[in-house]
Amino acid sequence: MRRRYYALLAGLASLGCQEKLTAPADCPALCPGGSSEVFDEVISPIIGADSSFRGYVQPASAAALLVSNGLGGFETRAIMRFSRRSDTVTVRDTARTYTIDSVAFGLNLVARDTTLPGLKILLYRLPISIDTTTTYAAVDPAFVPGNLIRTIDVPDTLKRGAIRTVFSGAGLDSVLIPPADTGVLALGIRIDSPDTTGIRLGSSANGTGGVFFTYATLNVPDTGTAKLRTFSLAVPFNSFVTPPQPVPDTTLLVVGGEPSSRALLRFELPPHIRDSATIVRATLELTPVAPISGLRTDPARLQARAVTADLGAKSPVSATAGRSGLFPPPADTIEAGATTVNLEAVRLVETWLTPTPRPSALMLAFAPDIEAASFSRPVFYSTRAADPAVRPRLHISYLRAFPFENP
Amino acid sequence: MRFAPLLILLALLPGVSGAQSSQFGVRGLGFPGRGLGVRAAGSSGAFGLFDAESSLNPAALGAVPTLTSVFVVTQSFRHPENPAGTASVRDTRFPLLSVAGPVRLVAAFGISFSNYTSRDFTVVTEDTLDLRGVPVGVIDSFSSRGGLNDLRLAGAYRVHDHWTFGGGFHVITGSNRLQSRRVFSDPSFLSSTQKSEISYAGVGLSAGVIRQFGSRFGIAALVRTDGHVNVDLDSARVGSVDLPYTFGLGLRLQPAGQLELGVQTIVRTWSGANSDLLQQGGTGAKNTFEVAAGVQYTSDPKRPYRRPLRLGARYATLPFPLVLGEQGHELGVSLGTGMRFAQQRAGIDLSLEYLWRSEGVYSERAFLVSVGVSVRP
Repeated sequence: MRRRYYALLAGLASLGCQEKLTAPADCPALCPGGSSEVFDEVISPIIGADSSFRGYVQPASAAALLVSNGLGGFETRAIMRFSRRSDTVTVRDTARTYTIDSVAFGLNLVARDTTLPGLKILLYRLPISIDTTTTYAAVDPAFVPGNLIRTIDVPDTLKRGAIRTVFSGAGLDSVLIPPADTGVLALGIRIDSPDTTGIRLGSSANGTGGVFFTYATLNVPDTGTAKLRTFSLAVPFNSFVTPPQPVPDTTLLVVGGEPSSRALLRFELPPHIRDSATIVRATLELTPVAPISGLRTDPARLQARAVTADLGAKSPVSATAGRSGLFPPPADTIEAGATTVNLEAVRLVETWLTPTPRPSALMLAFAPDIEAASFSRPVFYSTRAADPAVRPRLHISYLRAFPFENP
Repeated sequence: MRFAPLLILLALLPGVSGAQSSQFGVRGLGFPGRGLGVRAAGSSGAFGLFDAESSLNPAALGAVPTLTSVFVVTQSFRHPENPAGTASVRDTRFPLLSVAGPVRLVAAFGISFSNYTSRDFTVVTEDTLDLRGVPVGVIDSFSSRGGLNDLRLAGAYRVHDHWTFGGGFHVITGSNRLQSRRVFSDPSFLSSTQKSEISYAGVGLSAGVIRQFGSRFGIAALVRTDGHVNVDLDSARVGSVDLPYTFGLGLRLQPAGQLELGVQTIVRTWSGANSDLLQQGGTGAKNTFEVAAGVQYTSDPKRPYRRPLRLGARYATLPFPLVLGEQGHELGVSLGTGMRFAQQRAGIDLSLEYLWRSEGVYSERAFLVSVGVSVRP
């Protein structure tokens, strides 16, 4: 009996061992050391040490293909070349010929102005010689009515997804591949719309490029049967071309475009912040030279990436941010027409204060999935701007070291 | 066995408050410990200067009959009130551990480890700040864990069974692990956490005497000096704080074989720390005094350790004011009992203490349940 009482007592006592010490405080009596105060400070990049560099991602390597009918003041056209289609198919160690029943092209619509109806996609036959050196001027003569093989009416309800067009019967003539082209087919893509707009199509770099389907009947005489076959051809090369663009002003900070541009900004944190402050917010404030261009309903995503070693244009950047390295790089969504950009970058600034500090610099770029694949082309004032109010700045909110020694 | 339901009741009693931790331990060096064993705590410390299982008076070690180890655990439930609100909090602490034993019948030595001050708390405030021109809600929490501990090496010597003299050497050491945290209602602001550790180190000396006038009346006296503690913030010296002199006097009277009365008063000169604490930005310190009176009733005088009933009351002032110029105080009543078993080689003592603490608009009710386990191998 006594043992049971003791066991019960021990059990009850253990229940009471939970600790709960949190209580409301009435300051200053119950707030030793006082309370933290938030300080604000605006820091400018090092004057003259911010620059833009161009040529990071080429259009042929972009995650999407741009097509527009004048968005931003110029037309953009996509070009693609499909893999070689063989004339024969090997069945039982014998090369067999086949008869084409129909062909189809598949495209992947990534983004469009979803408020704009009446979008049409125009497919043109292009010379198979297109490659990464092909210019807008070189292919422009091929974008003529004679080479137009199909106009696709894009349903207004289709926001994004697959677009497919089929050629059969007499329509096959427009997609016949002459023997001189050795089974290779190249296409050019334009768009038509009641208003100026653009679309983004999937690309081979992103695994969402166009597909060329051939549906054929295979004659195999020794079996007395006809086999249906489908040939699916991907695009080993695709890109987009634009008319020559003016060279960006080197006194401005340019991000995006094709090939893509990035902007490098260098800062020097004051010692009282670097040594003992706890930064709770850091906002990179940028002023565009003009309202940011772009495709409506398809905002761009601007990232600030931590520079791990300051080597100028070739500075390696980190794919993560934060002291622990577990956070994505700070990013902000830029709508077309934006006149200011405020990018919350505290996780990036944290990396400047780690025990193994990195350069107090950041690389401004588009997110990888839209770099060289966005209609947005923001141009910001740099530290060289005559008006200090439009220069880039880092607005930091921080706490000073808490005075723990005050009992 | 009759007391078993009482033991369970003591363990079950929830709700109210009290303990080593307190909102009155937020400032200064924290809430002062009392160095009492559970046997003495049952009568509010009225017999503390005579109690060999407490770490107050080194002369009390002379009463240790055999090698004895004591372990005390205290569960506290508190209900602090202040203008910011109220809360129900609780914690468990181990305020005393001691080992003592006799040497050649006339002397005794012991070592004890007890709580000198406790600074365990977490306080939370809410506010709205104007940040970048926008009102943003913030929640600040400040927490401390730790305190000062008193490691005592002591000895006692008896002369003709009437006098017992004792002396002790104290190592006072400990640390506060502090954390300040701020959380913003606007997710654009990161929460911030700042941590620090304050460590303390000092030494002290104590001397005590007990004079027994016959078997029914005794007087105990104590004097102690603790010098000062050096204060290091994250391993860098930031100053020192003077610790108090302690003077204690206790009387014990046994008017009948079953009844024992005790009264005790202790004065500590905490005002010596006043200038040091003010210099460090604190609210200073004030001298304290404590007076306790208690009674122990034993149903069987031949076996005084068999379920005695202990009652007591005490009043004390607190050393570290929350508001400059004021001084807090506490009033407590207590109830206790105990038992020995295994041929008196082991024992359990229990005490239940209810305390009222206040200083101006700040108040606190505390409920302490202490269990002491003693072993005599």
